[in-house]
Amino acid sequence: MEAHSKSCLSVEHLNVSYGQNHVLEDISFQIERGQFVCVIGPNGGGKSTLLKALVGLLPIRSGIIRKEAEKIGYVPQQLRIDAAVPLRVDEFLSLKLSKRTVWLGPGQTRTAAEKKLEEIGAAHLIGRQLSELSGGEFQRVLIAYALLDNPDLLLLDEPMTGLDVRGGMSFDGLLHHLNDHLGMTVLMVSHDLHLVDHVSDQVLCINRTVHCHGSPDQVLQPGNLAKAYGHLPGLVSGDGIEAFIPIAKLK
Amino acid sequence: MWEIFQTPELERALLIAMIAGPIMGLLGTFITLRGMAFFSDAISHAALTGVGLGVALHLAHDVYGPGMQLVLIVFCCIVGSMMAWLFERTSLRADTVIAFSYSGAVALGVILISQLKGYQSLEGVLFGEILFSSNQDVWMILALSALVFAFLLLNMKALLLCVVHEDLARIAGIPIRKLNYSFVLVIALVIGFLLQQLGALLISGLIVIPAAASRMVATSFRQMLLLSAGFGLLAGVLGIAASAQLNLPTGPAIVLANVAFLMAAMALGAILGRGKLNRPSTSQLDRV
Repeated sequence: MEAHSKSCLSVEHLNVSYGQNHVLEDISFQIERGQFVCVIGPNGGGKSTLLKALVGLLPIRSGIIRKEAEKIGYVPQQLRIDAAVPLRVDEFLSLKLSKRTVWLGPGQTRTAAEKKLEEIGAAHLIGRQLSELSGGEFQRVLIAYALLDNPDLLLLDEPMTGLDVRGGMSFDGLLHHLNDHLGMTVLMVSHDLHLVDHVSDQVLCINRTVHCHGSPDQVLQPGNLAKAYGHLPGLVSGDGIEAFIPIAKLK
Repeated sequence: MWEIFQTPELERALLIAMIAGPIMGLLGTFITLRGMAFFSDAISHAALTGVGLGVALHLAHDVYGPGMQLVLIVFCCIVGSMMAWLFERTSLRADTVIAFSYSGAVALGVILISQLKGYQSLEGVLFGEILFSSNQDVWMILALSALVFAFLLLNMKALLLCVVHEDLARIAGIPIRKLNYSFVLVIALVIGFLLQQLGALLISGLIVIPAAASRMVATSFRQMLLLSAGFGLLAGVLGIAASAQLNLPTGPAIVLANVAFLMAAMALGAILGRGKLNRPSTSQLDRV
């Protein structure tokens, strides 16, 4: 239990710019080990930028990112791969597991890849081409790739994009599995507030700056969301809230 | 069949086809997967300016000579690097950069050459002549092929990861910029080296077609790589044999042999249900 009380990642006064455009300003938050943290906010609000800055894909202008996690896995936002690429799932995973070549061979590396796919319920995908996979299958393979070197923090950038309700529910189960059974600390960007409501321990709502931060109950309130997203039709109506605000919050 | 290769010219041509064919097939796999087929086309066409410059600056006189080969290699590397720099530094799409670099360089080349009085025809550069190769050419092409093979072997994983997702490649510590420029230089080197043998109009077909044919039937990257090298080798041998037997121009005969393999692969792919454009439909996105 003690490990769970330790910090996994802390961010202090983070600023990130694209040229003169300040995308993130004064972002501060902390993630404890074992937590499931969701980042929400409008499009262009800097959610993906935050993840990219955390893994070092973007330079930061100022601030401190303190990574207590030894290894960070990153799953980028991507739905599919070009059909011209015949890369198979085992070949893709070998890009991380094998030293030089892009095939796994029959030995330990293949076993490692199979085990990782099995952990996330995707063992049957090992011989399939990436370009033939559905959006949800492709996301699972990207997650398996991220998990290959056993990270202690997993960053997911909108993994549910393009999934329908059934796909989303199945993916939801995977997220619970990662956090509850594999003990993975997760930081996920998502637009799906229903999902955010029932998977996360902590929600960070950002639109360039941190608008609000706390438990889902605290953050997913009509006033907070309206402040972050603006007064969108369907978000806040005269006598209540519609559309994508979790139903539980209406009661 | 082998008796038709009895002349030294044909022997050398066959050796070059057997060395360069598989290497171009391997390189072509990475070029097509990275969507750079037109890039190699642009470099080879722009080489016309290299020919003009070589003659105008008195660096080379003979289209088939070693002096010209050096000029072409250097020129192809410069054009390739310039295009790569423009891809990186401007917001223009790659196809736009390729279109203006290519037509600009061809225009300059034709004007330069038209000003050179008494200069031999451009046919040699446009279509190449593998039968004019010397023993030295064979050795140099062998050395080049070894270099390209080593580059691809050492960078295979990095090149593929960039195809899947550049961010994953960056996180894996791959120096993407350095890799992209090196890859461009390797393409330019191959084209510069082989242009005199295979011709400005034909060479990119020889790089791209084996890879396209192999994609039609391959079910994995490994298969695509091996089949592409195999198609490159067989089409080279078949093209030279057909050219010798039927008295056809050699470069075009090799290209047509490649096209024949492509068509056969397409037919086989259709029978086996492979190689189709596999754009995920709604129903595929539904599956998880």
